[in-house]
Amino acid sequence: MNSRSSKKNKFLTFAYLAPTAIILLVFMIIPIIYTLYLSFFDWNLIAPTKDFVGLENYISIFTDPVNQKVLLNTVFYIVLLLVLNFLIPYFISIVVKFFIGKMQSSYKIIFFIPSLFSLVVGAMLFSWIMNPVSGPIAFFMRQLGVSLPNWTNSGAMAIVVLCLMTNWKVFGYNFVLLLTGLGSVPQNIIDATKMDSIPKWRMIWDIVLPLNKSIAFYVLILTIVQGLQYVFTPISVITQGGPYYGSSNVLYHTYLNAFVLYKTGNASALAVITFLIFLVLLYLEIKFVEGRADRYE
Amino acid sequence: MKSSSLIKRVIGALTLLMVAVLFAGCSSAKGASKKVVHISYWHVNAQTQGGASVDELVKNFNKTHKYIKVTAKYNPNMYQGLMQNLQSAQASGKVPDLVQVGWAYTNYFASNFKYLTPTDAQSKFDNSKTFISKNFTSRTLSFAKDSKNKLVGLPYSLSTPILYYNKTMLAKYGIDASSLSTWEGVSAAAKKIKAASGNYGLYIQEPADTWAQQALQLSNGAQIKKNGKAVFASAAGVKAYQFYQDMVVKDKTALHTPWAQGIDDFVNGKVAIAYTTVAQASHIKKSANFDVEAITSPHFAGHKATVPVGGSMLAITAQKTEQQKAAWTFEKYLYQNSSLVTWSKGTGYLPPTASAMSSQAFKSYLSENPMLKPAASQIKTAVPWTSFPKNGLQAEQTMIDTRDKILSGSNVQTTLKAAQEKINEQQK
Repeated sequence: MNSRSSKKNKFLTFAYLAPTAIILLVFMIIPIIYTLYLSFFDWNLIAPTKDFVGLENYISIFTDPVNQKVLLNTVFYIVLLLVLNFLIPYFISIVVKFFIGKMQSSYKIIFFIPSLFSLVVGAMLFSWIMNPVSGPIAFFMRQLGVSLPNWTNSGAMAIVVLCLMTNWKVFGYNFVLLLTGLGSVPQNIIDATKMDSIPKWRMIWDIVLPLNKSIAFYVLILTIVQGLQYVFTPISVITQGGPYYGSSNVLYHTYLNAFVLYKTGNASALAVITFLIFLVLLYLEIKFVEGRADRYE
Repeated sequence: MKSSSLIKRVIGALTLLMVAVLFAGCSSAKGASKKVVHISYWHVNAQTQGGASVDELVKNFNKTHKYIKVTAKYNPNMYQGLMQNLQSAQASGKVPDLVQVGWAYTNYFASNFKYLTPTDAQSKFDNSKTFISKNFTSRTLSFAKDSKNKLVGLPYSLSTPILYYNKTMLAKYGIDASSLSTWEGVSAAAKKIKAASGNYGLYIQEPADTWAQQALQLSNGAQIKKNGKAVFASAAGVKAYQFYQDMVVKDKTALHTPWAQGIDDFVNGKVAIAYTTVAQASHIKKSANFDVEAITSPHFAGHKATVPVGGSMLAITAQKTEQQKAAWTFEKYLYQNSSLVTWSKGTGYLPPTASAMSSQAFKSYLSENPMLKPAASQIKTAVPWTSFPKNGLQAEQTMIDTRDKILSGSNVQTTLKAAQEKINEQQK
């Protein structure tokens, strides 16, 4: 290759990358840098002056009891979302794939339907269905002689119910992704295990799960990152983070600080911390999964 | 060949340009004094919450005013949503001309945005200079003043909290509605209902503000704010909140739940009495399948009922004189009696001017909707929405947090005191 064509090639590479790069720059990278910048100031979004406060916003995140509570809630949310939106769909997709076999496509459709609905509609529906005083579930439970606890008054219960709402929305999508992944495991290997009469659970544990790792990993990350964003909608519609921040998480708290209280500095600091936590989580997961991969290669 | 076609093109373009200039000259010469002024009006009224009446009013105005064209823009998520949009508009430098501002945002709006006060608009554009004083009482105007006592806008929508009750249920358990004029009476009724039916007696609205809870404290002779400082942790204030906490936590006769669910529980007949804004009247009337009536806000024995006013004002954010004048003209049109009655019917808000309030059209509307009557009668004694001069939005959040804590059972006195200190700390 002569130098001219390689120059042209370079130019073309940049030209083809430019549209994506510009969009990424304008809508992702610059805002992230600006957020980092704002996190050192006390500002209300429109005042002409920004007061430089140094690390004060960051210190308040770790010393303010409300922020601590919100961070703890976030951990609780992540654990719950992992169980509800990752482990359970994974388990069910394995059951459907290897133990039921029939009607796979009908399950796909049935589970997928809720993810077509808007979460706002879902949240309003659930808030009616789960109304502890006058909702239908409360009515049936009363017929059985038990009363539905007032879940909006307890942070932990509210978190569980809000997670169930996102579960309703996300379950089908994650299920379909995982099931498709399981479908791509080569049939001849599975047939071979049958020939060798290896028990099914060993086949799944030692062959299917490792082979399906990349899809599972993708869904896992999606569950954490997207799940926390999805759960924002029912929080905003139903509890507004209450009772006393009991059902709030970092994303909702960032929104509250930024666009309800107009404390841009606190909100930016929270956003930066969230960004870092996600970054670490991603790094750990990649490390963990890559590390395990060596064993099978 | 090639060059001649180029020349042709150039000549063609030039001719077009000349014609355009000619016509433009024509129109500007003719309409130098009568150019159509475009203004935009930002409101929060969704189609189901009076949006249709906004459209109707704007359409009629545009029909009767040849040289002003108003475009209405709906902002979702009420006054908070509008304020968020206004901030982005301010940042981009393209602000609307007339906006609705919720009372809670009075000080925030006044200290962060550029606006034309109604007083200035009147002296700039009117000959008679009596529009404001003729139409608004000084009490009504006090709702729209900021902490420096400056009139920020003109009151447009007014609301007050009223006490709705399930008449069918009260009759069943032999409770006389007249006993509900005091909070002690409400509590006694709630106890009776709880004991007899297991249903809750009372629900006090819990949206993302403490409007109703402030009414409770005010009606025990407490003050929320005095000389720009929070004073709600006074003995009277503590007593009112203690009373409320006892009903929720100790007696379990009052329900503690988010707003939408609480209203659902009331219209489903699971709560006997609901204390919420008059703006809920049409929803409650439509959804309840029992007889429902409303009375004025209760008070504690030995005190007068005092309610803070809810709703919004209209503020002129236009920056150019032309647009400001057009916005002021439109605003005056909105304050005509017929416009205000249309507005009231569409939204459930009460009209802000005395003459609209006493107009025949509004009176006949009231007699068709008796639940609005108590709200209308309270306007005469209502007080402004509490708005702290500094960090007002954070102060409101602190009061919401306080309500959450108290209703979850924490000590009333220390919680109120801590909140009061926190707010006053932020006033420095």
